[in-house]
Amino acid sequence: MAEAVEEKIKNYRTAPFDARFPNTNQTRNCYQNFLDYHRCNKALTTKGQDTSPCEWYQKVYKSLCPMSWVEKWNGQIEDGSFPGKI
Amino acid sequence: MLATVAKQLRSHPALIPLFLFIGGGATMSVMYLARLALKNPECSWDRKNNPEPWNNIEPNHQYKLFKVNMDYSKLKKDRPDF
Repeated sequence: MAEAVEEKIKNYRTAPFDARFPNTNQTRNCYQNFLDYHRCNKALTTKGQDTSPCEWYQKVYKSLCPMSWVEKWNGQIEDGSFPGKI
Repeated sequence: MLATVAKQLRSHPALIPLFLFIGGGATMSVMYLARLALKNPECSWDRKNNPEPWNNIEPNHQYKLFKVNMDYSKLKKDRPDF
């Protein structure tokens, strides 16, 4: 499973179609991948595993999200004022 | 009030198709709104027990009514587990 994920990350071109978000408005797609990246990091570090599969979520949200949002959220995470559940 | 309408309909039966079409249109609008409220995975009613309903659907679940150039049966889960 980990090798398949590394293959996918190496061959990454852009965010794939996500059936959870089929419409033109992809805001929630962006936000969900950002949350999933941080949740994945948190879950795998508490389990003591390598967090490299989480790179997939980071690539997807970097493709989808406007940079200003990512910077704002990263700032909020550092301050501790991020409103999402991680 | 319904009795008045029924009486008027009996004297002007040509109004019946009007009621049928208006009624049909109103029913379709209400049904679409109900589908949007209940079936749309983006709509979260129960924030405590089901906060992110879009995460509970299959990777090949089709929500749209019509699909163009998209084969939903070929989709698989492609996100890493954690």
